[in-house]
Parts: sequence; C-alpha cells; structure tokens
Amino acid sequence: MSYFFQIVVSGIVVGSIYALAALGLVLVYKSSRVANFAHGQIIAAGAFITFFLTVRLGVPIFFSFLASMLITFFLAMSVERIFLRRLIGEPIISVIMVTIGLASIFDGLIYLTPFGSENFSFPTFLPTESIVVGGVSISWTQLVGVIITFVLIGCFSWFFKKSTVGISMRAVSDDQFGAMSVGISVPRVFALAWATAGLSAAAAGCIIGNITGLNFETLHAFGIVVFPVVILGGLDSILGAVVAGIIMGLIQQFASGYLDGNFGLNGTGDVMPYIILLIILLFKPHGLFGIHEIERV
Amino acid sequence: MKSKTALIFNALLVIVFVFAFTLPAFAGKTYKLGMSLAITGPTSDAGNPYAKGSEDWFKFVNETDYLGDGDKIDCPIRDDQYKNDITKRFFEEFLDDEILIFLSYATGGNLALKRDFEEVQIPVIPASYHEGLIVDANYTFMPVATYSENAVSLAEYVVDKHKGTDTPKVAFFIHPSAFGRGPLEDTQKAVSLGLGIDIVEVVEHGTDLDNTAMLQRLESKGVQYVICHTVQTPVATMLTDAQRLGVTATSFGEKGKLTFLGAHYTGGSDLIALAGTATEGFIWADSYNLTSENNEGAKKQLELAERYGRDDKAANSHNYGAGILAAQIATEAIKETKKAGLKMTRENIYKTMQTLNFESFAAAGPVTYSPTERIGVDVQNIYVAQDGVFKKIQSFESQYIQKVRASR
Repeated sequence: MSYFFQIVVSGIVVGSIYALAALGLVLVYKSSRVANFAHGQIIAAGAFITFFLTVRLGVPIFFSFLASMLITFFLAMSVERIFLRRLIGEPIISVIMVTIGLASIFDGLIYLTPFGSENFSFPTFLPTESIVVGGVSISWTQLVGVIITFVLIGCFSWFFKKSTVGISMRAVSDDQFGAMSVGISVPRVFALAWATAGLSAAAAGCIIGNITGLNFETLHAFGIVVFPVVILGGLDSILGAVVAGIIMGLIQQFASGYLDGNFGLNGTGDVMPYIILLIILLFKPHGLFGIHEIERV
Repeated sequence: MKSKTALIFNALLVIVFVFAFTLPAFAGKTYKLGMSLAITGPTSDAGNPYAKGSEDWFKFVNETDYLGDGDKIDCPIRDDQYKNDITKRFFEEFLDDEILIFLSYATGGNLALKRDFEEVQIPVIPASYHEGLIVDANYTFMPVATYSENAVSLAEYVVDKHKGTDTPKVAFFIHPSAFGRGPLEDTQKAVSLGLGIDIVEVVEHGTDLDNTAMLQRLESKGVQYVICHTVQTPVATMLTDAQRLGVTATSFGEKGKLTFLGAHYTGGSDLIALAGTATEGFIWADSYNLTSENNEGAKKQLELAERYGRDDKAANSHNYGAGILAAQIATEAIKETKKAGLKMTRENIYKTMQTLNFESFAAAGPVTYSPTERIGVDVQNIYVAQDGVFKKIQSFESQYIQKVRASR
C-alpha cells in the first residue's frame, strides 16, 4: 500500500511544481490573451540569477531567491514595456510571434554566459535526509518546493480576487475597451501581468533547478512541458492550473508506476497525460476551468 | 646625386618585394581542417569544453611548431547548435575550403552525413561514439571505445562482480533516441550470445522531475543494477531520487538495492556537480584519463588548460580531454603523412590514419587504428564516484563486443 501512497505523494509534488511553472503562462494569458513562448527562458533566468547571487556573490540563498524574483519581476516588466506595449491592439498572432522571437533572443543572451552551456547545482541548504511517514518518503527539497508553490498560488489567487489591481487585471482580461472606459490603464495592467509572471517563473526555476540541477536546456524546456497543464486547466484559470498540474503529475506517476514495464508498455508516463488531455478536451474544449465565451452575432 | 638616391630607393623596393613574395614559402604550410559541434544549445555542456580542448591543442601545435618547418593547422570551429541541417551546411562549406579532415559531433548529424563522408572520401573524427557510425563505413575514425562497448563492458563487469549464483537482473535507463537505443540493442545481442545478465526492463526517460514510481517498480521486480546510457541531467535526477528513497546500494551489488552504472556521457565532473553526494558509488565506463587521477597525463591536460587560461571546470572536464584527443588524432595524421613524404591530400591522410598509432595523455590507452579497425582507444577505465571525484578501479576491455561485431 505504501507503494500506492508514495506514487500519490510524488504525483502531487510533481504536479504542484508544474502548476507553479504554469502560473506565469496563465497570468499573462489572463490579462492579455497571449501565450508567452519565452516563459521557459524566464524560468531559467530566475534559477541562474539565484545561483549567481548565492554562489558567486555569497548572498544567503533565501535572500537570493527573493532577489531573483524581484529581478525577474522587473525584467519581465521591461520586456513588456520595450517589446510588447506597442503591440497593444495588434492581432494576437503578432504578439505571439514576438514572444517566440524573445525566446530566441533570451537563448542567445544566456548562451553568451557560462550558464548557457555548463551544469551547476545549488549549494545544499536543506537537510539531505528524507522525511519518511508510514513508508512514504518526501525530500526536504520537494516539501519546501510544494509549500512555496501553494503559498505563491494562494497569494496570487487572493490578489486576483480581492485586490483592486487584481480586479483591474481581470477586467482587462474580460474586455479591454470596457476596462479602459472605466479608467483602467490597460498598458499598466499588461506590465503588471508580465511582471508577476516573471516573479512566479523565477520561483519555479529555483525549485526545478534545486531538483534537477541547473542545466539551461532542462530548465527552459519546462516552459513548454507545462503547456498541456495550462490547456487542461483552462488557459485563464489559476485554480485550473493547480488542479490540472496535480492531475498531470498523478497521471504521470501512476502510468510510470503501474503501466511502464508491464504489458509490453514503456514511456507511458510521458504519453498518458497527453492522451488524458485529449480525452478531456473532447468533452470540455475550454479546459477544466476555462471560460467558455459565447459571442452574440 | 638625385639619380643615386633613386637607385638606392629602387634597390630597396626590389628587396622588399622579393622578401614579401618569398616569405610565405619560408613560413611553412597551413593545413585546413573543419570542426562543427554544439557550443550552444542541447548537449552544449559537453560540446563547449570539447571545443575548448580542440582549440587549445591546435593553438599549442601552432605555437610550439609541433609539425615542424613552421607548418600550421587552421581549424575553424563552428557552432551548429546540435542541429543537423546546420552541421550539413558547415560540412559543405568546409568541403569548399578543401579541408583534409572533418571533426564532427552528434550521433544524428553523423548518421545523416554518413553516406556523404563515404562519397566524398573524407576522414572524419566524431565526438559521438555511436557504434552505427563505423558499421559499413570506412572514413569515420572513432577516437575511443563506442557507447555499445561501454554498455556491454558494464554488463560484463556486473557479471564479473555480482555476488551470488543467480543471474544478475539489470535495467537499462536510456535516452529516447538512436543515441540511447544503439548500445541497448548491442547489449541484447551480447545476452543472446551468452552474456549472463537478465535485462528485466528498459526505461526511456523523459523530462522527469521525480523518478519515484520508476525506481520503486524496478526494485519490486528485483532489479539490482541500472545501466544508464544518456546525458548527465536525467541521471542526476534519478540518483537524487534514489538517494531520497534509500534504494541506492552502499556497496556494489548490495541485495535489495540498486547499483547504478553508466556510459561515457552519463558521468564525469558534471554529474557530480548536478547530483552531489547522490553520485557516490556510481560506476562509470570511459576511455578518457581523468584529472582526478593526478597522473602524468592529468598534469599535462591541466598544464594545457592553464596555458590558455581555462577555468577549473573546463580543465577538469573529461569532455575537454575528449576535444584534445580528437585534435591530437588529426594532428598526428598530418604529422605522419608529412613524415612519410606524402602529398597532403585526403586520400593520403586516410591511408596514414589506417596505421596511426600513438600515445595520448588525454586517453586511458594508446590510439591504434588499422585497415580493419576504426576505434582508436580500445581500453576503458572503470571509475567509481568516491568522495566527490571519480576514481579508477580497473581497466577493462570487452570480450563480448567482439562477438557482437562478428555476429553482424
């Protein structure tokens, strides 16, 4: 039975990290209806900034973590200000193409540094022993990762539901012209959405980097790996990202634990989430929690 | 007076011209090579130090007049970002430049260009040690033992060291590509030819954040040994998970636990950088001499790195050593062709390479090619991760790989 519960715990751990990594995509989409293809690069940048501050400058890792979130906050805000602001009102596809271009530029910039082609790891700052309860083990790295994920997701949920700025962001997402007519600054909302996405990406990068080690290719791949999570959850739903992330994590672990190596199957942990995604989308094309917009013609 | 000055001026002008035109003849010849590899993009963690190793060796050759008579090697190093189409374009440009030897990189790129190499008849030194590159191919000269040789050797090592009378149960953890599958197929052939292991499962990994389910499944099936053939990052994540779950063997072949082993690109200082203490006990097969061995070869590698201002990370990487060896093979081929008094053509370089035989400080054994043998260094060292470095346990030459090759 502990085998089953261990898989459940692992699934939740993996799923929560997916959710955090997906959060940035949701935040940008929620306000601007744009899928940000440079998200993975911001995830990697956040992880490397934390590493640089901790290892090269000797800043305690906790402060490096906060500082990297702050830096990516302003980095993403600058990206929006410099490259994307002038595209407000232009076709969405143009904006998406710009994010693809940005991904290439970020790739190039990171390749100019040693982080683009070398492997690193964070110094050990958590106990290396696992926490074992009833035969089920979880590492401190994973536990802290899950806690940070849920704290951040809680904060963002509160921010969108209760704060004035958050409500403005939702209003912009709902209807840009309507929001402008009541005095909401759409450019400011876009900038803030990108900035908060940058902040969450840095947090995700640090957590993933602490688990897999710091390798640029691995880190930026998570910007794409979590796309199914965002689609399954509904592109504009934070709750959807959390639920879908955990569903994906659980499916992956259960498929790997019970199907792989049996019945001649292999690699189902990677394929099953996509199969389930397709099945769910057949019945709920807007994802589990996505808004189904009805246009009156 | 005026005409005398003009005469002296004209005489000086003639001397300058004669000197300028004859200088190149005294300056020695330049031999052109070409190198294409991933300095950025996927696998650049290996390609970057590899490029540095080759670059430093060629610089050393040119600065120390290693070839004699002022002869130099000109080897432009291009970044193909691990993209086959770019590799092909670079290769074609190099052909236009009439290079003598092509120093190539990835399995995919080499497989894609394999027919071209044969057609153009150009000697190739790849950074990929995929066995398929030398099957039905004459012009590819593998620097060291192939991945298949690594994997089969590790399986043989398991058989040798396994305690107990039962057949050791082995799982393979491989990259989901031709690069990952090739050595598995050759190990399966070795098993069919009598190698005494039971391959219980083959895992083709993805971008996993957690390998708990997989590790538990392997344990539940009685697997004792996991042979990895992929790159370091997925291995590091798996080793970290194994450490957390407490399933890593504390001694080789410990019952009820997993002993991890890996081929060339799974190990090295990068694995330790990524997985830290979880690497302890990892067994690694590789044909390169490591700087952690602190022997004469290691000192020479470190001296070369220091001479060209490389940081510790690059200097101690086995991929830096791999880059040096590839460049040394090309250099020795040119040197021997010159020594034999042959004209410097691809054909003559090819002839020379077939009998090339020399010692390299970067490798675990001598480089020996023959008209029927396309692998330079046959010897592999078996290393174990101990106290944060890889230490040599023994040298190893696979017996079964010869049977596998004979059975093709």
